[in-house]
Amino acid sequence: MTRRISMSRRAALLSFMLIACVVTAFPILWMVATAFKTPDEALQTPPVWVPGSPTTDAFSAVGDVIDIPRSFLNSALIAGLTTAGILLTSLLAGYVFAKYRFRGKNALFALLIATMFLPPIVTLIPLFRIVTQLGWDASLVGVIVPNLANAFGIFLMRQFIAGVPDELIEAARLDGASELRIVFRIVAPNVLPAIAALAMFAFVYHWNSYLWPLTVLQGNEQASPIVISLARLLTYTGSAANTPQVMAGATLAVLPPLILFVILQRFFVNTISRAGMTG
Amino acid sequence: MRIARQNWWTAGFLAPSVGLIGVFVLIPIVLTVWLSLHRWSTATPFGDAEWVGLRNFDALFSSELVGRDFRQALRNTFVYAGLSIALLIPLSILFGVIVHRAAVRGTTFLRTVLFATYCVPMIAVAIVWSKLYSPTEGPINQALGWFGISPQPWLSDTGTALISLVFLNVWQQLGYFTVLVVAGLTQIPPSVYEAAALDGARNVKLLFKITLPLLRRTLLFCVVIALINAIQVFEPVATITQGGPVGATNVLTYHIRQVGIERSQGGLASAMAVTLLLALMVVVTLVFALMRKGDDR
Amino acid sequence: MKRTSRYVALLLLAVCALVVAACGSSDDDKGATTASGGGSGDKVKISFLTHWAPETVRSFERITAAYEARHPDVDVEIRAVPFADLLTTLRSQAGGDNGPTMASIYDLWLPELVRDGVLSRAPEANAAEVQREWPANLAGAASVDGATYGYPNEVDLYALNYNKALFREAGISAPPRTWDELIADAKKLTKKDGDRITQQGFGLISSWAAGTVHPFTSLLYSNGGELIADGRAALDSPQAGETFDLVDQLANKEKVSSAQMSTADANTTGPYLENFVSGKTAMIIMANWWESALRAGMRDRFSDVGTAPIPVGPSGDAPHSVSYSWLTVVNGKADEAEQAAAWEFLAYLNSPESGEAGHSGMAGLLQSMGILPSRTSDLEAYRGDLDREFLKAYVEELPNAKPFPIVLGGQEFTESLQRNLEALQAGQMSAGDAQERSQADAESVLESAAG
Repeated sequence: MTRRISMSRRAALLSFMLIACVVTAFPILWMVATAFKTPDEALQTPPVWVPGSPTTDAFSAVGDVIDIPRSFLNSALIAGLTTAGILLTSLLAGYVFAKYRFRGKNALFALLIATMFLPPIVTLIPLFRIVTQLGWDASLVGVIVPNLANAFGIFLMRQFIAGVPDELIEAARLDGASELRIVFRIVAPNVLPAIAALAMFAFVYHWNSYLWPLTVLQGNEQASPIVISLARLLTYTGSAANTPQVMAGATLAVLPPLILFVILQRFFVNTISRAGMTG
Repeated sequence: MRIARQNWWTAGFLAPSVGLIGVFVLIPIVLTVWLSLHRWSTATPFGDAEWVGLRNFDALFSSELVGRDFRQALRNTFVYAGLSIALLIPLSILFGVIVHRAAVRGTTFLRTVLFATYCVPMIAVAIVWSKLYSPTEGPINQALGWFGISPQPWLSDTGTALISLVFLNVWQQLGYFTVLVVAGLTQIPPSVYEAAALDGARNVKLLFKITLPLLRRTLLFCVVIALINAIQVFEPVATITQGGPVGATNVLTYHIRQVGIERSQGGLASAMAVTLLLALMVVVTLVFALMRKGDDR
Repeated sequence: MKRTSRYVALLLLAVCALVVAACGSSDDDKGATTASGGGSGDKVKISFLTHWAPETVRSFERITAAYEARHPDVDVEIRAVPFADLLTTLRSQAGGDNGPTMASIYDLWLPELVRDGVLSRAPEANAAEVQREWPANLAGAASVDGATYGYPNEVDLYALNYNKALFREAGISAPPRTWDELIADAKKLTKKDGDRITQQGFGLISSWAAGTVHPFTSLLYSNGGELIADGRAALDSPQAGETFDLVDQLANKEKVSSAQMSTADANTTGPYLENFVSGKTAMIIMANWWESALRAGMRDRFSDVGTAPIPVGPSGDAPHSVSYSWLTVVNGKADEAEQAAAWEFLAYLNSPESGEAGHSGMAGLLQSMGILPSRTSDLEAYRGDLDREFLKAYVEELPNAKPFPIVLGGQEFTESLQRNLEALQAGQMSAGDAQERSQADAESVLESAAG
């Protein structure tokens, strides 16, 4: 719903929006610009904003300190496998909570949803100990498996699956379809936007996840995702002259989630709106 | 479908989620509570834990170093959360209203830019902002200079360190909350605005008298989410400030990890975690109660 | 239909199992030792956990390659983590199957690791070698209750670092030798712009445990004081009181030190380093290993750096720097074959066999980072290099250095003292309160660590 506003109001509003965009984008722009600076430019006070003679030296230097392709692979594995797990488990459980009736359903659902509000630090230590006892410490298995199910995913799926008409499902049953078939052939296609949104949330969240991989993987460079490798890069290039290197690393780490977001942002936003997130 | 058959499917479909959440979330919660009543070194098996009753909790609330450090971390965490919420809610309402209702082009672009920051890994955000905040080589102090403001110590001073991190947090999360507010706004029927317009209501009045009350549930929900996110702050503290200077940015996630993993004091760390959980539960219950009271109106 | 549901449940289980197996197998080549590794392959796999930078790790890998050539049945892997994560990594992996076989640790961490039963005792031959080839205090630092747990590697101590160019400018001919001279010189070397310090006479480090506590300790020792005496905290002594007063003078009364200019970050670099490098800090007490950072940052101006013994306090007789060391230990939870292989490798690494010109491979690595080796034969082998100007003050003071007390709760003790010093440096407490608090906190930490 819009209302007509005056020219001056419009100009003021546009300027404000422009300033907001610039201020918001500034850190990212500065990061990218610094990645192309020379060490001398990085040391200058007052700081140089635009590199005088842009160079990609910093990027190659990053490659000397951390294994970039491997880190990206690890990030992709962690984010991808965890997301796949979350999608599968949430779809199945969401279907049950939305469409079945059984004793204790609401209580169970409430219990699961309550875990949505749990800050991970509360369970970090015993969970880590459990993972260690299972022999999964210092490996990707330990990072991925505990996160394969997610209460938020179940919540989201249930909200959306509840909107799938029962008649559709009943009709399929009458035709002799098994429940599994129903889930994948009838329900899933009808909640694709929600699945896409959940996929994106989960992927970005687990790509950026730091504390848990840090706790589980420490010491295992081979299995480090890009966020951990980036922290390692910071350590070995501490002095201010190496800021371009650190920024180059950060730029590389930021690219995949950002690109994914730009491509899929419509789904993200639309689904939050439709999910009745507020309720 | 017959109930008996349905029960098989129920079990089968729920097994993965419930199993995983049970083993990797619920059991650890129980363990945390159990461990908080024991003296246990994180490097040793659970069986080695020694019962000490409420001794850990006593220490946390005593005047000894352990207690002082913990209370400082607790204080810092909730101050950080409080300040973040105080900034995020008004700003997200502002931008939410602009994106949703302003009659100008470019609101989608604004929304995209704002939301993009949410996708950036926190470690990258922390690293970049630590350089932005650099007292001598950082552009922020330089920019302040153009407006005649003297350079600020940002992360190097006990008075400004925590709020520096708050700004960082707000920057990263604003887009996410703006989208949540927009979602809430889309649920308000346009007829409400038409009726108000007929009554001659002006923009600002409209905002406070109509929009905000109807956004109540959304906003309270945002508060809860913002609180939970704020409690999880870790990367900026771990990579940039290490809880300093003088513990000014020592927050609970960092402190619990340091006590529980670096110093291996698993029992004490679990007691801290339990206290955090209780505090959180109290606050969230209050917020939900407020939500429900509002609904009755 | 009922059969279908059971079939489905099994299918789900199978999928989960496959996923887990797939993830697991892709990790097997990562060289992590597994408890069941004994019978599975011909090679014994051992790993070494360190905090060294990538170039040093690469040099280290050349040494391990040479060792592997000689011992084809052993596979040595290097695992490097950032310094800030080293202790956490060690502690969290110590209890697991995939933990590193060997690790380079800070001597202060030894008592707790031994208490938790995660370290392996050195076999007779290795223990005897350590006792024989190392100075007594260093061999002692690698032992608990008479049992040796590892090979000492680096030794570190502190000295007064000062900027000769700034000294010349201020008309000071020689570095201060007493505390009074220190304060007087610092006053001459401090420049202010209104209320803000633009050049600080003396840098007091903060935000980093060792950086805050060790210089303080060196001053304390040079004033005849102790941190811990006879098993109890000794911060309530008059000598300690004078040291807290000195800090108070520098930071708050004479204002020759700016809290903001000397903070450190997670990797032990940061403003305290940058400000000395850029000539904004005239004097600072720091360890010998920051030489490479200074050289990298100052380049030609490195010749402006002078080093001198710690200034002596009113109750002290001679300069005494604090010293600490690192040692390499072996994981007690690794299996027999791995432990044995690890000890053999360590004997090789720390002997002249692995290096050139009479020094050991370990010493070579340390020296490449500008760090002092500790083995007597290594100090001999490097005699010429150690004579260089920057290191002179350090090497000469090495015999007079007193080790930082190695006790249970040592790390926590350091951190509690750090917090109180930082509060004092930031002007949040008086010197008297800082002393009282430090003593109380120290007593509390030591008590709960022991009991």
